[in-house]
Amino acid sequence: MPKCTLNGKEIEVAEGTTIIEAYKKLEEDIAHYCWHPGLSVAGVCRLCMVKVEGNPRLQIACNTVVQDGMVISNQDDEVKEAVRWGLDFHLINHPLDCPVCDQAGECGLQDQYMKFGKYDPEMAERKVKKSKVVDLGKRVVLDSERCILCSRCVRFTEEVSKTNELGIFNRGDHSEIGTYSGKPLDNNYSLNTVDICPVGALTSRDFRFKQRVWFLNKKQSVCTGCSTGCNIDVYFNKEGVWRFKPAFNAEVNGHWMCDKGRDYYANLNPYETHVEGERKDKKVKRIPVRLLNGMKGSEMINSQDLAIEVGQRLKELGGEKVALVITGQQTSEELEAVTEFFAKDLNSKNVFYWVNNKENFDEFDGILKRGDENPNTKGALKTLEKFGLNQTWSQLTDGIEKGHIEMVLVLGPENQQVYPDFKTRVEELSKAKTLVWTTACLNESLDKSNVWQIPANTFVEKEGTFINHAGLEQKISFITDLVHNAFDGVELARLMRGDDLPEEERFKNSPYKRVNNEFTSIRGDL
Amino acid sequence: MPESKLLTEHYHKDEYRGLQGYKANGGYQVIEKAFKMDPQKIIEEVLNSGLRGRGGAGFPTGRKWSFLPDNGEPRYLLCNADEGEPCTFKDRMMMERAPHQLIEGMVISAFAIKSHKSYIYVRGEYTESVEILREAIKEAYDAGYLGKNILGSGFDHDMDVYAGAGAYICGEETGMISSLEGKKGQPKLKPPFPAVKGYLGKPTIVNNVETLAAVVPIIKDGADAYKKFGTEKSTGTKLFSVSGDVQKPGNYEVPLGMPLRELIELAGGMKPSRTLKAVIPGGTSAPVLNKEEAEKATMDYECLAEMGSMLGSGAVTIIDDTRCMVDMLHVITHFYHHESCGQCTPCREGTGWLNKIVNSIVEGRGRLQDIDTLCKVADHMKGKTICALSDAAALPVLSFVPKFRSEFEFYIREGRSKVKGTRYAEMHA
Amino acid sequence: MFKLSPEGVEFVKSEVARYESKESAIIPALYRVQKENDNWVPNEAISELSQIMDIPEARINEVFHFYTMFNKEPVGKYHVQVCTNVACAMAGTREILKDLCDEHGVKVGEVTSDGRYCFQNVECLGSCGTAPMLQINQDKYNENLDIEKTKQLLKDLP
Repeated sequence: MPKCTLNGKEIEVAEGTTIIEAYKKLEEDIAHYCWHPGLSVAGVCRLCMVKVEGNPRLQIACNTVVQDGMVISNQDDEVKEAVRWGLDFHLINHPLDCPVCDQAGECGLQDQYMKFGKYDPEMAERKVKKSKVVDLGKRVVLDSERCILCSRCVRFTEEVSKTNELGIFNRGDHSEIGTYSGKPLDNNYSLNTVDICPVGALTSRDFRFKQRVWFLNKKQSVCTGCSTGCNIDVYFNKEGVWRFKPAFNAEVNGHWMCDKGRDYYANLNPYETHVEGERKDKKVKRIPVRLLNGMKGSEMINSQDLAIEVGQRLKELGGEKVALVITGQQTSEELEAVTEFFAKDLNSKNVFYWVNNKENFDEFDGILKRGDENPNTKGALKTLEKFGLNQTWSQLTDGIEKGHIEMVLVLGPENQQVYPDFKTRVEELSKAKTLVWTTACLNESLDKSNVWQIPANTFVEKEGTFINHAGLEQKISFITDLVHNAFDGVELARLMRGDDLPEEERFKNSPYKRVNNEFTSIRGDL
Repeated sequence: MPESKLLTEHYHKDEYRGLQGYKANGGYQVIEKAFKMDPQKIIEEVLNSGLRGRGGAGFPTGRKWSFLPDNGEPRYLLCNADEGEPCTFKDRMMMERAPHQLIEGMVISAFAIKSHKSYIYVRGEYTESVEILREAIKEAYDAGYLGKNILGSGFDHDMDVYAGAGAYICGEETGMISSLEGKKGQPKLKPPFPAVKGYLGKPTIVNNVETLAAVVPIIKDGADAYKKFGTEKSTGTKLFSVSGDVQKPGNYEVPLGMPLRELIELAGGMKPSRTLKAVIPGGTSAPVLNKEEAEKATMDYECLAEMGSMLGSGAVTIIDDTRCMVDMLHVITHFYHHESCGQCTPCREGTGWLNKIVNSIVEGRGRLQDIDTLCKVADHMKGKTICALSDAAALPVLSFVPKFRSEFEFYIREGRSKVKGTRYAEMHA
Repeated sequence: MFKLSPEGVEFVKSEVARYESKESAIIPALYRVQKENDNWVPNEAISELSQIMDIPEARINEVFHFYTMFNKEPVGKYHVQVCTNVACAMAGTREILKDLCDEHGVKVGEVTSDGRYCFQNVECLGSCGTAPMLQINQDKYNENLDIEKTKQLLKDLP
């Protein structure tokens, strides 16, 4: 294990560690653009310069391996001067259009210039003109003038997605990233290129111009798109959730996540922000997509009262006459709480496991995406095992058919899109006298007179545990409150039992004061 | 001092191009001697000869060879014939006049470093050289100088020619390797060096045409005989491509250490009623020498290094008093702007910036502070990039501007050339 | 739309097999396309090569755009490449180039209206001892020129 001195601090690192990795480990500042821990070393931005004692030339930290006894510094005047000029070289042909750039606020050029910049530009010549607003694919838009040619995105498509759509064409200061015509950037990981782009060259077509990033808050969570359970940062504000980005977790997803997982954010917001028309003349429609209050058939009812009533009815019927349906979409805590209510309080064995697309469960794209599009299949199976339950689906349908089962409670899947049999199941189960469905999103097929709907929290509105495909337990925490009248499974179980909700505790993590669903997006309609 | 034709003795004969003519003039005899030697002995001989790379960097050839790791991996020998340094035209002559000399030198070198495959990477524009080399390689295969079990020695070697497609940067050894691998000719990060991980990740030696050809006389007569030519630290002979304002431009093979004055005389001297103003002694990347320096300079590695310039590829450009140095620098900055591969930021952006500033001056839009900006930009491009192109672009600026500052100041103040009296920019399309 | 001849396809396949890595065949393949298509490479050839060689389009396109000898647009019957680097510029090639362009009423890089010429400045071609020089298409160099000789040279072309 070589030891070295970095900016006067001693550090011991593993054999083969590069100087930049040592800097990151020490959390010391070091300028860089092209280096990315998840990609190969390109060594082209020439910003991570360091002075290694005994070496007359400055070295780049990303391609220099720490040797025992090295004395390394980037606080030297020579290094600082090199970095100042290095940054200026990056900026001389950059359009400096920060006010209209979507990256502003989370831009590597801005951030690093503030820290290491020269603050005295000397470029007085005409800048190079390059292509702007290029559609690289359906999700990513390129502005070549802003690009600093760090090649991260190109290396990503070569090394990670292995789809090879991107390249750097031409040479010298006329180099531009791009795709070959007819072969757009179209893979399920394309938005990672936007994440790793240190400047505003690659932007997400979906996210761009919707929010300024400094108006967004971020908190870590786990993607619910499949059983991989990629760690994510959820970006949100009072108006709702605006995007997901991957959060590094070496064990689960490394630095990346798939585009499909990212798309899911839109399902969390109470209103759909639907953009119509061309860029110049776009209209935003707001259509409610979340269930905002309890529904007893077509009658709107306070969700809390409805949950209490459901609990009373279930208790009245009890045992064989009631049934519970669970999926791999809820947290282990929710599954356990509701199952326990059925198994213990109601003394019912009628707990059924609804599986979507079982035949695809073992699919894997070799990167991150798995065929099992539930975050907690393992958790559901564990719950059933814990309570010794192993009913088959036909027992449920038979029971309903024959009238043995009168009331069914379904912990509905949060992500309805990955349940292609959603409608069929609703038809099947609504043959029972009363069907109670907890759901986050609206669904036409649930609009029936004997179907009661209870609004459910989405994963950003609750805390709990998901167990991923490999059996890894991952905690999610409360992020924001989007639909105030919705409950998670644990709360539902409490209400059904007849207990009160501990209100203060529930909102202790909220960044906002508890307000009655006061979204600024609605204010825009006034 | 006359020429010392160690390599070019028979170049004037047309027959020397073909296998028969080459053999008739003593060719392919050294290869037989080499096969009787221990490969390690050949490397030592080359090391002792003091031969330094003739492509530009001047790295000792024997030392380069000794960096090969002994790990059993296949090794490649690449001949760098991507002669792109402006004003250099010696390799082209060597390939066109004596292709078998290069092949012989390469087979001996390959035998020494135990390589069974070599490529000659020729710049794409040299279509004639490519044809001649292909023909010569075919002849050599037919005569048993290439292929399996060469001359019964048990040594196998295959050789191929690869034509580039127009990129100065492929003359940089790792750029050349990238290009040969079928990628953009962008230089690779070092370490690892090519001797450890080169072509397709395998140990690779890259040598210039002239370097590999020089192995033939070194093995023929021994290192000591070779060292009789040249100076202590710059041994042997070197081909100099003399161009510009001399009466007889062309390639001259002379012992290293020859005074630059004598080389100019050899090339016919200055044109009538013109006087020497400056010399670029080693290709455009080498800092320019003013008259005083040029008159004192000797053509060897150490003297030119002492003067802050370099021997480079041996391209000597003679500039007389009718030349405008602002215009000359403009041609040079344009070249580096055109040829920067674009991967390292300081070079990609800096070469364009330098060219734009000089262009502004040439077009009459210059400002006096541009002179300092030019020097500052060039200064910060030096030693900051993967390869030496950035330095090569900076050094002309850092020598032209201080040494001929008055011409730059005049051009900016008056909007016209001090020498030509007019604005020269109209000549450029 | 351009398509490689059957012999061209065979050639590309043989080049793919010739080198240690198939990517090495990209440059020879692009030369072949250029030879079969009046000295320039049309964009669609990239996707054809990609299929024949089983190499992603972007990789071929990178190589195509990196090297100056691959022409991205038509360059006329005679692509007259005049060196304007140091030695040739000193010998007057910039004046020759300007003269040729003026005479034919075109700018540098434009094809004459009859499709016969395209005059282009290029960087050093390694013929500095015999400057001024120019290269037509990818043929032998024309050296030791002056304006008159250059004009005669062009007239003598078939």
